[in-house]
Amino acid sequence: MNKKFVSLLPCAFLVLGCNRTPDPPAIAFAPYGKDYASKMDFAQLEYAHPLSTVDLNKITPENLETLDQEQIDQIYARLTPGPIPDGAFDGTALFPKGTSGKRRVAEIVGGFSGFVANLKGMQLEKVAEFMWKGKVFYREQRVLRNRIEDIGVLKELGIVEGEPKKMEVNGKQTWLLFPAKLYCGQSLLDARRESIIIDYFFTDEIEGYQERPDFVAGRRGIRVRDEIRMVRPGFYLGRAYVDKVFLLNFALYNAEIAKRDGEIFTKTGQINEDCWTGTQPRKTITAAQ
Amino acid sequence: MRRMLFAVVPMALLAVWFGWKQQVRETPVQALALANAAGSDSAVAAEAKPALRPQPEKSSVDQDAPYFEACARQGLNDAECVGRLIWYKATAGNDRFHTYTFQQRIGVLVDWFRVLRADQRDDRFYAWGIINDPACCKPGDANCPAKSPEETYGFDWCPGDDVLLKYVGKQGYIDPACGLKDAPLDDKDPHSKGGKADQRHSPCDLKFGTSTGALGIRKFPNPRFNLEQWKKVNDGQLAAWSGFSRSMSATGIPSDARVSKMADASVEPPFLIGTACGSCHIAFDPLNPPADPARPQWVNIKGLVGNQYTRMSELLGSGMARTSLEWQMFAHPRPGVTDTSAISHDQINNPGTINAIINLSQRPLFKGEVITKWRKADACAKDASEDTCWCEPGRDGKCWLKSQRDDDTTLGKPGVHHILKGGEDSIGGLEAIQRVYFNIGSCSEQCWVNHLTDLRQVDPEQRGFGQTPFNIGQCRRDCPNFRAIEDRLPEILAFFLSAEGDATDLAAAKSKTPQALADELNHEFGENAVERGRGVFAENCARCHSSIPESEGGVFKNRDFHAVDESHSRKIRKDFLGNDQATLVSEVKTFRCRALHSNHMAGHLYHEYGSETLRQRGMDPNVPEQDKFKDGGRGYYRNVSLVNAWAHAPFMHNNAIGPEICGKPANKENDFFRARYVDETGQLLAEQPQCLRYDPSVSGRFELYKRSMEQLLNPKQRKPAKTFTDYDVIVDIGLRYWDGKEEKPMFNMPSQIVIPKGAHAGFLNGLLHKQFVGDMFLAKRHPDRLEAAGKKELASELTAIADALLANPSKFVDVFKDQREFIQKNYETCMEEIENGGHPFGEDLPDADKKALTAFLATL
Repeated sequence: MNKKFVSLLPCAFLVLGCNRTPDPPAIAFAPYGKDYASKMDFAQLEYAHPLSTVDLNKITPENLETLDQEQIDQIYARLTPGPIPDGAFDGTALFPKGTSGKRRVAEIVGGFSGFVANLKGMQLEKVAEFMWKGKVFYREQRVLRNRIEDIGVLKELGIVEGEPKKMEVNGKQTWLLFPAKLYCGQSLLDARRESIIIDYFFTDEIEGYQERPDFVAGRRGIRVRDEIRMVRPGFYLGRAYVDKVFLLNFALYNAEIAKRDGEIFTKTGQINEDCWTGTQPRKTITAAQ
Repeated sequence: MRRMLFAVVPMALLAVWFGWKQQVRETPVQALALANAAGSDSAVAAEAKPALRPQPEKSSVDQDAPYFEACARQGLNDAECVGRLIWYKATAGNDRFHTYTFQQRIGVLVDWFRVLRADQRDDRFYAWGIINDPACCKPGDANCPAKSPEETYGFDWCPGDDVLLKYVGKQGYIDPACGLKDAPLDDKDPHSKGGKADQRHSPCDLKFGTSTGALGIRKFPNPRFNLEQWKKVNDGQLAAWSGFSRSMSATGIPSDARVSKMADASVEPPFLIGTACGSCHIAFDPLNPPADPARPQWVNIKGLVGNQYTRMSELLGSGMARTSLEWQMFAHPRPGVTDTSAISHDQINNPGTINAIINLSQRPLFKGEVITKWRKADACAKDASEDTCWCEPGRDGKCWLKSQRDDDTTLGKPGVHHILKGGEDSIGGLEAIQRVYFNIGSCSEQCWVNHLTDLRQVDPEQRGFGQTPFNIGQCRRDCPNFRAIEDRLPEILAFFLSAEGDATDLAAAKSKTPQALADELNHEFGENAVERGRGVFAENCARCHSSIPESEGGVFKNRDFHAVDESHSRKIRKDFLGNDQATLVSEVKTFRCRALHSNHMAGHLYHEYGSETLRQRGMDPNVPEQDKFKDGGRGYYRNVSLVNAWAHAPFMHNNAIGPEICGKPANKENDFFRARYVDETGQLLAEQPQCLRYDPSVSGRFELYKRSMEQLLNPKQRKPAKTFTDYDVIVDIGLRYWDGKEEKPMFNMPSQIVIPKGAHAGFLNGLLHKQFVGDMFLAKRHPDRLEAAGKKELASELTAIADALLANPSKFVDVFKDQREFIQKNYETCMEEIENGGHPFGEDLPDADKKALTAFLATL
């Protein structure tokens, strides 16, 4: 076989694989209807349909995109906060999915020529994808910064003044913008246990704050408040709010942590919890069971 | 309870709504196959037996001592005394609610230091209406164990604090409730196995903590407290929380003047603050009021009277700027009144007084009511579903069976009480007590916050769009504090029935015999006024205000309403002086918004605390609101008891009939009095009558009673009262960067919305913004659907409003003002604005009869 052809094969599979829509994770969901009142109470959901560590391993940042909002909510509610992360995580914005198959933000832009859905000709969806792309956690300082590799979008929006300073992450110089405080706090979706909160309201108090563009996420901007819970080590599912209005879901992934701590978690289900995990008895179902 | 409506975010929501509504799902989503179906191995931990239970460290001053002394003084037995301790102290875990959940999830900040700071101890009652704990002291005062406020983080020092303060910032505090000596077992309780098995949940989960210095408000050490961070936030100070509770105005940025540092939830305060039921119900004893209300003694305190001065709404909003929408919407009830559905918000402006609990054993019971609820059982059938029968794991036959029945009993007699203003909380006395704990925040995270309406969620397909009923069975299973309270409800009920809940008659308060009091009243109100008043009462009032109908007790006109119940051990009055029957609000004609309370309706938060009988009551045809705002059993007021009316003025469920009362605190920042009297056009009178300062003395109460009776019996002479916003509501919106000199809005968005002061506060509470926005969308995009929903006639106005808003969002308030009548009629849950109208009964009596009635009622 031609050497060149052989070497191209994996690439071809990779491309094919990348284009393939993943299957939804084969985990249990409680039945639900269209109306808000038809959704099962989270406490009952977790009691009736707890997620095992095997289930959690079936969830990936990619296959979350196949789920509708209620299914993502049902996953989120069955997670614990886990440890406050440390280090750099890749981010994926997961827009609430409508039954049309379109993302809701796209539906908004298509359906309403509003002044919010469209900023200076840019779709909110793009802005959001950009802002939730990657995050760097500084666990000890209880601070988070967003890793921005290209500030072109921000410049287009006119919210950058001058050239923001870069910082070093994993040996590379990059923009670390939109600093936020990290703490254990209330979930705006599921009160039964805490989530890890990424709060931008007092962003201007954090070292390295640069008014433009950082103010955008803070209290004089769109007042972003994220919350995350752990799917498994190195993988968190998050919810982003703008002035306490739910905007989108996002996934955070750190392959190194996932590789390092994933196996033992799957076997034992044990994980260090930094936050209040509530009082509802929670079954830990592991791969061994 | 948020700034939903008037911010730019609502505009964004409007956009979101418009987008979402285009994609309404047509079919229910099919659930995936259910894997890992749950077994019944719920791991509810069986806590340690009493002997093995962790015991609290002994403190230098026994915090229980004055409580036991009070029990002895009043002759309370063990069960009553345990119930009293719980009522006064148990927070049942709501310290997390009042420290985290209310602030972060609901969005309202409580400035606990502002309320409880020791250096303003003497002003606390007049500012907040709360009652100083006689056992606590101001650090630095003579004989106070704390020598400086630094030791207590600026709070009072209270018994038990020598132990508690050691655990601020540390794990390991053992709550004083762990040391509770429970009452003897009831051998008739099916869970006690004939009195042989103590299966009660650990009392540790009652969570007493120590007093904050105000009765019923309790504190707990915060293990997450970080001393260094706290010092940094508070400029190195430990004696005050001034840095934590400061506004951010020091940045020089104008909008920061409306931002509190308390919104920074990364800062952990030294204490978690919880509230016991007593925080609202503990009050001064009408028989033995304090010489100085700021410095009461234990003998001046009673736990069931109901605090007529509390400003609980202002207290719970104490961290909010007066220009905030939350403050203006909710911090306006009169003293002694609070909107218990402000947190479990039903979007109705419906504050109510705290119920006085007096002579409970005489209170009417209602037989044959259809009630679905959990009842104690000693076993479940093998094939029983957990939805209908559940046994607590690790226990021996400690089970509950859920069923619908109509033969419930109370205190061994057939029937149940009707408790709330409209008769809600009607599934049993014990359950009604348990629900009080939800009102004060207990089990919020585990059981009910997920069932509240999220005022910002405008997608009807998403969780939080509206209320859903919380599940008592789930709460019992998942919230240990629920179980700790539930297993001691009989003791709390026993306390209600104890001597502390006995009537406090004016004769006793004045240390006179009944005859001597009658002589005094006759002297003041006219010859033979008391006896004449008895006749007037029998003729005109007893129909509603006697618990003994003529069919049972003979004709009213021959009735001795003071007759005692000879079968009662303390010979208390036989007549409860109120039949607790529900009367149509259009007949009573008092401020009707409370009668439209909706939390007990089917599908709403407290569904399980309302009987089926309650919900089947017919609709009041004479209430002007649309049917959907008055159905489901609403539209009634319970006829109240007049026992000790002399001590409980002003009158009505909102304390609105009678003079306005106020505290006039020394710290004017904490003076919450609002002018409310309006002229015939509904505008505030330029000159307002002076408010009466809080005066819990016998003469003060009696004077307030007389003036309130005068207003009650002369409706036409009442100046109408209405509550307005008393500051401009300012909502900062949009993107605004700071260039070092000014805030600069971006993208041509408005930077601020201002609602000028003088708006009707109830309008803000009662606006159904989601329905309004939804209908606007339909009018613009799918008028056919609006028509299908029976709202065709609204289309043109809705379209016009939508067009006006989209054309100029900054004119939001003007648009609302222009369309107020239309919006009020179609989207306001309650349209009534005048708060002190109604109860016209007796207005046509001759003046002499009115005086006589006033004299007679004072003797009851």
